[in-house]
Amino acid sequence: MASTTRSPSHRFLPPDPRVAEPYRLTPQVAFRLAVLGMILLAVFAVLFLRLWALQILSGPQYLQAAQNNQLRTIRLQAPRGPILDRNGNVLVGNTVGHSVQIWPADLPEKGRYQMLKRLSQILNVPVGEMAQEIAKRKDDPLSPVTVKRDVRKDKVIYIGEHEDELPGVAVVKTWLRTYPHDTLAAQILGHVGEVTEDQVEANPTFWPGDEIGQGGVESSFDGYLRGSPGIARMRVDSLGRPRSSIVPAQLAQAGNAIRLTLDAKLQQAAEESLRFGIALAHQNEEWYADGGAVVALDPRDGQILALASDPTFQPSLYVGHASRQELAPLTDDKVAASENFPALNRAVAGLYPPGSTFKPVTALAAIQEGIVSPWQTLSCTGSYQSPHDEGPVKQTFRNWDPYVNKGMALSTALSESCDTYFYQLGDAFFGLPPERGHPLQGWASRFGFGQRTGVDVGPELEGLLPTPEWRDKTFTRKTDPCCWQVDRLWKPGDSVQLAIGQKDLLVTPLQMARFFALVANGGRLVTPYLVASAEQPGQNGAPSRTLQRFAPVPPQQIPLDGQGLEAVRDGLYRATHDPYGTSSRTFGAYPIPIAGKTGTAEKYSSEVGRMLDQSWWCGYGPSANPELVVCVVIENGGHGSSAAAPAALKVFERYFGIASEGPIQYTESD
Amino acid sequence: MVQYAEPVRRARRSRRAEEAASVAVRLDWLLVGATAGLVAFGLWAISGITRHDIPGDPDHYVVRQAVFAGIGLVALVAMVAVDPRRFAHVRRALYGALLGLLVLVLVAGAAVRGSRRWIDLGFLQFQPSEFGKLLLVLFLAAFLAERGRRVAEAGAVATAVALTALPAVLVFVEPDFGTALVYLAILAGTLFVAGTRWLHLGVLGSLGVLGAVGLIWLLPAAGVTVLKPYQYERITAFADRAGASPDTTYNVEQSITAIGAGGLDGRGVAGATQTNLDYLPEHATDFVFASLAEQRGFLGASMLLLLYLLLLWRGLRIVSMAGDAFSAIAAGGILVGLLFSIFINVGMTMGIAPITGIPLPFVSVGGSSLVANLAAVGVLLAIHARAPRRGFR
Repeated sequence: MASTTRSPSHRFLPPDPRVAEPYRLTPQVAFRLAVLGMILLAVFAVLFLRLWALQILSGPQYLQAAQNNQLRTIRLQAPRGPILDRNGNVLVGNTVGHSVQIWPADLPEKGRYQMLKRLSQILNVPVGEMAQEIAKRKDDPLSPVTVKRDVRKDKVIYIGEHEDELPGVAVVKTWLRTYPHDTLAAQILGHVGEVTEDQVEANPTFWPGDEIGQGGVESSFDGYLRGSPGIARMRVDSLGRPRSSIVPAQLAQAGNAIRLTLDAKLQQAAEESLRFGIALAHQNEEWYADGGAVVALDPRDGQILALASDPTFQPSLYVGHASRQELAPLTDDKVAASENFPALNRAVAGLYPPGSTFKPVTALAAIQEGIVSPWQTLSCTGSYQSPHDEGPVKQTFRNWDPYVNKGMALSTALSESCDTYFYQLGDAFFGLPPERGHPLQGWASRFGFGQRTGVDVGPELEGLLPTPEWRDKTFTRKTDPCCWQVDRLWKPGDSVQLAIGQKDLLVTPLQMARFFALVANGGRLVTPYLVASAEQPGQNGAPSRTLQRFAPVPPQQIPLDGQGLEAVRDGLYRATHDPYGTSSRTFGAYPIPIAGKTGTAEKYSSEVGRMLDQSWWCGYGPSANPELVVCVVIENGGHGSSAAAPAALKVFERYFGIASEGPIQYTESD
Repeated sequence: MVQYAEPVRRARRSRRAEEAASVAVRLDWLLVGATAGLVAFGLWAISGITRHDIPGDPDHYVVRQAVFAGIGLVALVAMVAVDPRRFAHVRRALYGALLGLLVLVLVAGAAVRGSRRWIDLGFLQFQPSEFGKLLLVLFLAAFLAERGRRVAEAGAVATAVALTALPAVLVFVEPDFGTALVYLAILAGTLFVAGTRWLHLGVLGSLGVLGAVGLIWLLPAAGVTVLKPYQYERITAFADRAGASPDTTYNVEQSITAIGAGGLDGRGVAGATQTNLDYLPEHATDFVFASLAEQRGFLGASMLLLLYLLLLWRGLRIVSMAGDAFSAIAAGGILVGLLFSIFINVGMTMGIAPITGIPLPFVSVGGSSLVANLAAVGVLLAIHARAPRRGFR
């Protein structure tokens, strides 16, 4: 370029590149400098404009953003409402503890595993479990993962001292459930646990990390107990470490109390009586006795006063971060089976054949259907063969007492629990013309068998009330390839054995108690219930305010023949008082008149490989004006009279506050 | 000869003394003022920004930075005292030193966060690539000035590009993408001022754009990775904020939030939560401008920008005043290098330039950068002092 503009010496000599021309600011260079100057101004104009836009025009928004940046919203757990017994005794309360949380967003990228490992050593929580919990929250790194609740004070202090080495780890105060009565009513109360993912999805008011009731009363009445969490704000640095105290923005509202119909003392007695019954069974060399259930309810309105199930567990296991091993008997099916299902509430979800305790059902049905009259005498013999049995060899059904041979009326048959008497009734039901249907099952169903009782704390099972239709539906080529063509038929033996509560029939102890309540109260089917009311605890010792009373479903009157019912009640009274009564050794001398029926139900045990006797006793007292129905079942406990009946007496003793004189006596009879 | 030597020496000494006196008189005092203002402002900013960084030692960084400012002052005075044209005579040595230092840092450098940018001298860490900028400017100026009119030839341009590419690649593999870009900016600046033809500049610019496209889209598509994933993400995140991963946009978002939150007059040292609570990463080095803007607001940040503008204006003026090609090109290279660094750094903190680790001249904590920049100002002052007395003043 330069050569074209200034080439004076072109004609004479070529320019010598070694000779430097004197430098001067050519117009070209000046132009370039002007361009450079304009670029300079443009750059600064852009920077100024952007700075102006950010700081002056949008300043307030960014200031807000900066302030929100460091403010972390924390959900303040509301103290959960207590669960009380009918007299206001605290069954489940609260205490303050510390829990350790991890804010996944604040965990270091590098050395995360080492940090978690260190934390795991401090807290005794496996690294794998923590990593799993964190992985579950991958989509939501801004809410904390609680890795351990109920952390000891020294560990809390240790973590506080080393907060710089543990970024993303926070210690917060938390409410922990306490169980002043230890294992009492464990299966009823349920426990509190962190919401699962599915629960969060199902209920928009739940946040990950919330503690809600899981199972039992805690779950069914969670809405009352939970309260509403508060909201607080806290300043944190970019590593999530708190840099200010927690400033509450919205106070947590404590949950309301739930008052149960349960009587803590009677519940205690019921649980003790179960262990007493099992111990008795062991004394009687029934070595497989290992569990059972007690139901005690008020026959007048269905209030449950005690609902015990054994084996049991400590609900406090769920408080804090229970290790999987500790919880295995409650959560892992295999381990639970080896420990005989401690979490199972046998009173509402344990299924047993009722045995002879079902005989009053057969009796009432037979009277209602005109099959037998209360005064009619049938022969009671050592064994029975059905005239309807058309097989080449007739099946022989044995009486529990093979030596008996006399005529009996209904009340005696109940009192001495004569099987052959009821075999005849069962056979008579079998022989009814088809147009009359299956009245035995019909009446059993009206008495509440084969269906849920509607109790307010579950999960409840409905049991099994076998009918010819059920047989036909259940035994098919697919389910029973060898013998379905025979098994699908309803045979005389089915009716005969149903009459004494055997074979396919399965009931829950609560269904049985409900039926005995019906006998006790003159034919009214009650709906058992366990939760009386929700209450707002009073402040500073003021009386609590009832928010809602859970009115029981009114009892349903079943039209029954008065004389028939009276005969059944008489039979039950004589069973506990007549010399030949099956549990008269136990109840005969007790000052309060108790009426009730024993049961010895055979149930096949796959573990033992043979039939084992389930020990039953159901009854009520005082017999003339019943206030309490008690139903006891001891699994594999042998005769009803030798395990369940003495256990039941223990419950009556505590209820009436009158102990029997001398040690509890019993016989070995059906 | 012997008896004449002494008077000759004496005469040379007196000439030097005269020259020194005239240099002192002919200093660009506005440039001196702008530089002093920038250093002082930088120290003031750093003292606020790093107050909460080291618990119990609030003045840790500012004291160190002040020491480096002192060293930088010595370097500045030394550069003023030397006639810059002398550098033109030793351009091969300059280039050798540049390459030597950059190779040395790759061989013996201390790795910090995956980068080998520093040579550990025990008591301090030395970052050769920062001094390399000045060495490169001086070398390129000497090279292009020596070519004279031949800078219009494609061969000379190609040689200059090749000679710059070598150190730039060495810096790039440290890896220090930002400084490598500064080297290229210096090349562009020197070529521009030296009088390279517009055509060649246009071709180089197009090649640069093509290179960037290739680096960002074509090579990754072909499975060749030159840029490290984080570098790639940072650059593409700038272009496509919505598509970038949150980790990458986090820094820029926090930086923009910090600047915006500063408002007109800043949140003060204690109230600057973005800085103090570590939301703003690297708030003493790469993102120092955002911290400054948060603590001192629009007023403080504008003050800094105005000081830069003053400095660059004086630089531009010195380019126009230079008495020889070397001086003009060197001043132009320094000017463009500084302008580029300032724009990329400040722009990055405001989300209008890609994220590259370029320190903010005179402000970012870092001794090498401060000393090298002060030395560069020294060169500008020296050029000014030796410029022929003509033109406007």
